[in-house]
Amino acid sequence: MAQIPDFLAKEDELGINLPLLFESRGYKKYRMSKFEEYSFYSDNRKFLTDDGVIAFNNADGRLMALKPDITLSIVKNAKLSEKLTRLYYNESVFRISHAAKDFREIKQCGIEVLGDIDSYITSEVILLAAKSLEMIDKNYSISVSHNDIVLSLIDDCDISLADRKKLAGCIGGKNTHDFRRICDECGIGDETAEKITSLFTIDMPINDAISKIETLVDTEKTINALNELKTLCKTLTACSIADKINIDLSVTQHIDYYNGIVFRGYVEKAPAAVLSGGRYDLLARKIRDNIGAIGFAVYLDNLNLYYRKQRDYDTDILIINKDSGNADKLIACVNGFCDIGKSVCVEREITESHRCHERYVFENGELTEEK
Amino acid sequence: MLNIALPKGRLGDKVYNLLANIGYDCSEIYDDNRKLIFTNEKSGVCYLLVKPSDVAIYIAHGAADIGIVGKDILEEDKLDLYELLDLKLGKCNMCVAAPENYIEDLDRPLRVATKFTNIAKNYYLSLNREIEIIKLNGSIEIAPLLGLSDVIVDIVETGTTLKENHLKVFETIMPISARLIANKSSYKFKNSEILDLVTKLKKELTEND
Repeated sequence: MAQIPDFLAKEDELGINLPLLFESRGYKKYRMSKFEEYSFYSDNRKFLTDDGVIAFNNADGRLMALKPDITLSIVKNAKLSEKLTRLYYNESVFRISHAAKDFREIKQCGIEVLGDIDSYITSEVILLAAKSLEMIDKNYSISVSHNDIVLSLIDDCDISLADRKKLAGCIGGKNTHDFRRICDECGIGDETAEKITSLFTIDMPINDAISKIETLVDTEKTINALNELKTLCKTLTACSIADKINIDLSVTQHIDYYNGIVFRGYVEKAPAAVLSGGRYDLLARKIRDNIGAIGFAVYLDNLNLYYRKQRDYDTDILIINKDSGNADKLIACVNGFCDIGKSVCVEREITESHRCHERYVFENGELTEEK
Repeated sequence: MLNIALPKGRLGDKVYNLLANIGYDCSEIYDDNRKLIFTNEKSGVCYLLVKPSDVAIYIAHGAADIGIVGKDILEEDKLDLYELLDLKLGKCNMCVAAPENYIEDLDRPLRVATKFTNIAKNYYLSLNREIEIIKLNGSIEIAPLLGLSDVIVDIVETGTTLKENHLKVFETIMPISARLIANKSSYKFKNSEILDLVTKLKKELTEND
């Protein structure tokens, strides 16, 4: 990775290092416009979070939106190569936060792979997610799940969409008490409810989790999902990152769009997930013919707050310029310091707010160090 | 060290006693002062005393790892948290109440006075009933008596306040009780401490049942 100067904030540091990481694995930068026709997002509304889309009319009177999501836009607009298209982005999305009742700009950096997704690609994406998190904090954790294990069992129950949504909410919150109550209310039998509860409360290291899931799955869909999870876990163990991975089956994504491995990344100092991703063939196939897709996004906003860099100085050197001429000599002095890697600031007089390691006075064409 | 957000007031006292019984005591909390943060290094806990409606916010932002909050607040704020246990304390119901002789006029939007605007909106959305929300912060019961609203959506514990104001419950929206919640990131990085507390708490609740 690039040598990053100390003074760069975490978000800026990641804005340099994440693209370098993705480029090193053959991902190409995808740059996008900030605007898209609103109808595109309204057609895929459920893929977006509950936050609103910022819409406006353009000069032709067409209803446009400030981009609320990057994945949707890439799937729709990216030029695909024959087999596999690997892309990365470093962009902002714009949403209306209902909670804060305000507009929000959210900076994201991430990757999308479109095409024929196999087990190698899935592992590559999770390993890149792990490396991305490690750049934020060595103390990180990835929660991996398979969307089909828990949600397919709920899908098999004959219940309304509203009840399904309520149950999905309980799963995401590891809320077993309300889950069982809602199951009772909508007529899901005790045995099924117990099995689903046992599955979505699994949040443990790889080997323990796989053994436990094996005892609980018996439908074709869930067994296939478990096998996919096992293949991935074998690779992650071989890559020596198993200790950073938990199988957490409470992690789910929208079942109309996601159909395979899904994951979230956490770092110790941030209170919420800073990375989210998964396999989304179902979304991709709504927009493009017969392709698979997987990717993740790192949420860069607020990282500067959680990983604040405290500096005890503003520049290495402060030069107080008491000379009315000799600008050429002063510039030569400044350049001399910069050439040996020092940061320099020139002021007319000493200011309380400027902190430095060394202070010089420039007078009559001469530079003198102040003790 | 586990940072635990407790709601100030009666519920907080009950929960603190429960936690103290299972080894998370911090006797300083009984001192007569205005302190809001109490630490006991030996028990490995730091209690933060906060307004009940703020508990979930402290936890969502990582200022506390776990906390105790009413289901009403969780449903109203819908924050991204884990809800690990139903403590079955502070039991009550979220209800629709109206004057005893109230008959609904289906020909116009229903005027609903409430502190819980999101719960009320979602409930009536599920019924496909058009409503007009009147947000109040207290003394909700008097709104229908003064003609400010047709009904109220509020917490009903014993029903005494309703009765004294000549109101009655027309619908029960959901049961409410105190819940143990956790920050999602804390759950990953302080997992054994949180699970240890949950296990002890479950055992204590079962024994008390």
